[in-house]
Amino acid sequence: MFSNYLKVAFKVLLRKKFFTFVSLFAISFTLVVLMVVTAMLDHLFGPMPPENKRDRTLGVYYAEMSGPQASNSGAPGYRFLDRYVRGLPQAEKVSICSIFSAATIYRNSEPVKVWLKYADGAFWEILEFNFLEGGPFSAADDQNGNLVAVINEATRRKLFDDQPAVGKSLEIDGQRFQVVGVVTNVPFLRLLPFADVWIPNGSAKTRSNELVGHHLGMILASDAGDIPAIKAEFQSRLSQVELDDPREFSRFASAPETLFEFTSRLLSASGRQPRPGLLLTVLIIGAVLFMLLPVINLININTSRIMERASEIGVRKAFGASSWTLVGQFLIENVLLTLVGGGIGFVISRFVLQAITASGLIPYADFRLNYRMFIYGLLMAVFFGLFSGVYPAWKMSRLHPIAALKGVIR
Amino acid sequence: MIKHLIKLVWNRKRANFLIMVEIFFSFLVLFAVAVLAVTYSDNYWRPLGFVYQNVWNIEVDMKQLPGQSPSAEQVEAVRQLFLAAREFDEVEAAASAQTHPFSEAGEFGVLGVMTNGRRLEYRQNVVSDDFDKVMSVTVTRGRWFGKEDDGVNWQPVVINQQLAQAVFGNDDPIDRDLPLFNNQTRARVIGVITDFRHSGELSSPENLVFHRMNFSDQKEPLPGNLLIKLRPGTTRAFDEKLIRRLQDVDKKWSFDIRSVVELRETAFQLKLVPMIVIGLVAMFLMIMVALGLTGVLWLNVTRRTKEIGVRRAEGATAWSIHQQILSEMLIITSFGLTAGVALVVLFTLFDVIGWISGQVYALSLVISLAAIYLLTIICSLYPSWLATKVQPAAALCYE
Repeated sequence: MFSNYLKVAFKVLLRKKFFTFVSLFAISFTLVVLMVVTAMLDHLFGPMPPENKRDRTLGVYYAEMSGPQASNSGAPGYRFLDRYVRGLPQAEKVSICSIFSAATIYRNSEPVKVWLKYADGAFWEILEFNFLEGGPFSAADDQNGNLVAVINEATRRKLFDDQPAVGKSLEIDGQRFQVVGVVTNVPFLRLLPFADVWIPNGSAKTRSNELVGHHLGMILASDAGDIPAIKAEFQSRLSQVELDDPREFSRFASAPETLFEFTSRLLSASGRQPRPGLLLTVLIIGAVLFMLLPVINLININTSRIMERASEIGVRKAFGASSWTLVGQFLIENVLLTLVGGGIGFVISRFVLQAITASGLIPYADFRLNYRMFIYGLLMAVFFGLFSGVYPAWKMSRLHPIAALKGVIR
Repeated sequence: MIKHLIKLVWNRKRANFLIMVEIFFSFLVLFAVAVLAVTYSDNYWRPLGFVYQNVWNIEVDMKQLPGQSPSAEQVEAVRQLFLAAREFDEVEAAASAQTHPFSEAGEFGVLGVMTNGRRLEYRQNVVSDDFDKVMSVTVTRGRWFGKEDDGVNWQPVVINQQLAQAVFGNDDPIDRDLPLFNNQTRARVIGVITDFRHSGELSSPENLVFHRMNFSDQKEPLPGNLLIKLRPGTTRAFDEKLIRRLQDVDKKWSFDIRSVVELRETAFQLKLVPMIVIGLVAMFLMIMVALGLTGVLWLNVTRRTKEIGVRRAEGATAWSIHQQILSEMLIITSFGLTAGVALVVLFTLFDVIGWISGQVYALSLVISLAAIYLLTIICSLYPSWLATKVQPAAALCYE
């Protein structure tokens, strides 16, 4: 039975080539746009190296001091992370790094702009960077404030013409750093690992000593199951935070969270509540709204196509096919069509993503399709097929057999 | 004739309804894109208010924390920084600013003046005395900040023409108080400039208030940007020389030099790239809709062969068949568009479009209406041509 449906569907698609083309165009175009957006979101939130332990890593992205009159919110500061987050009992490792900042390195008076990040020894243990040469700096380098640096491949090209860089030196803000390692480029959108040049926290000219400032924390749990316990312990430690002037700021808030949870804070007015569920809903509603016009287009085409097949439906009805059978048959046909369109869309989005990567619009971005994207694409195609197939199928099932056989349809 | 056509459309309302819905949504998509495009091109032709060539912006990171007051040494160091920059022959003028040109970020405030039931909003920037020379700002009334503003017991401010017009109308705003909302000290207008469009050519015009950077007052945050006007012909090699000298002032600070031309390009890209992406997506959507509509109309015509055959047999010309199909399509389109226009006009009532001017809105409306009509006419050309080819004899013996 099923193979019969497929055979009929295939024959029908071949009969009206223009319609098939229009349907496939609509489906594949819609899916290309959705796939590209999904690929970008996946690039931002999905697991990829060097964040291989993402499932058991939490970030501390946000801190806020508030008092009766004023509040000060932003990234957490070094003192808070060092004194209260480092040494969380359930945490296997805790790392503190700065938010990347701009710096200029001169090469024969030619300015080379780089992104600079201060980091510690644990940073290289939690994140698994791919070292092309040399290795990371250690916790001891950080404590002693040694002037050592890890650079990425792009910086090696700009400064040393792709020659081995370990042992060579570079000057940043008047300090001379020795290169100890070279890693592959990390995409710009990965907030925690991204930089061009990494140097130890201890090499900073002024020791930062603040509660709210420009650092980020990373907490690695030894097991994903420990995460709730770490979150609870973290919250209980917040009450111990010694505020500089309790009259000005009396409360301190922060939380270990995933990047997705952190991003979802943007949706709540105060920025205090993470709303991952809401963010997901907004993304899904956005996708459905975008699909609306293509779906209506497809419904129109499908409805027209059915009217053309009126006599076939009349015959089937006259021989006793139930409405449900016909609805099922039509839905299968439609989903089949969207799957073909989805396949085309998947291939096209590969090229689109390649073009975006090549354009260099987002530094070091490497948008790729992976098995997760394939599953998302499949789900979207099936949803699209059902969404656009239900109304025409319902309309078809209601055709009166006699009228259908005569070809008189309103 | 029209009444008759409307009846024809009404008789096939089920089938036509979905086409109307499709046109309704297509209109909304096109309208949104048109608003963006018209706003951008409208903004682009307005005067920028400053000259960005041969200006460098040096972002100074003084490693100061938000909310922290600067120390006396830091204020002195900033003064030294100015002196250091002016030492070079290549530098024509130097000034500082809280926000640099072509920056999306900035500080905003509200005035105690109400317009249309809302407090007037403005963008503010804190700049130093020579800022007008560095950026070649045109002062139309009064003067720019200068030494004579030292030690007065009010805040001197310079505003742009748009704000002067909004607050003082046609009166002379010089030496009048600007009613800043929630502000203890008085703000006195000492000058009016044509404009200074911080976020670049593509941004919408804003109300603008410049405050004077007062290095004697330690409560003020330190300037984040040092702007220098260079002599024409200065090369990038000067960059390193300058940085080394500035670094001598304070070893702890870091500097990021960018030419303002470069900042402008980045700002342009930041606005244009999303616009191009949205435009491309909208274009593909419209191609898709056009193909879909053509297909549907085509089938409609083949299904109405008999009807058309009868008309031909009764002596209707090919042209009048053509006309009928086209007009029917236009009527359907008009129905869909009526709903779309109604919704778009409804938006204006609820004041969700505060940032778009009435003219931009009206022009976008006209453009998107014209585009949709053009789209539907193109889509119905082939099907209606097919309809004229119907042979009455063949059509009537269809069964």
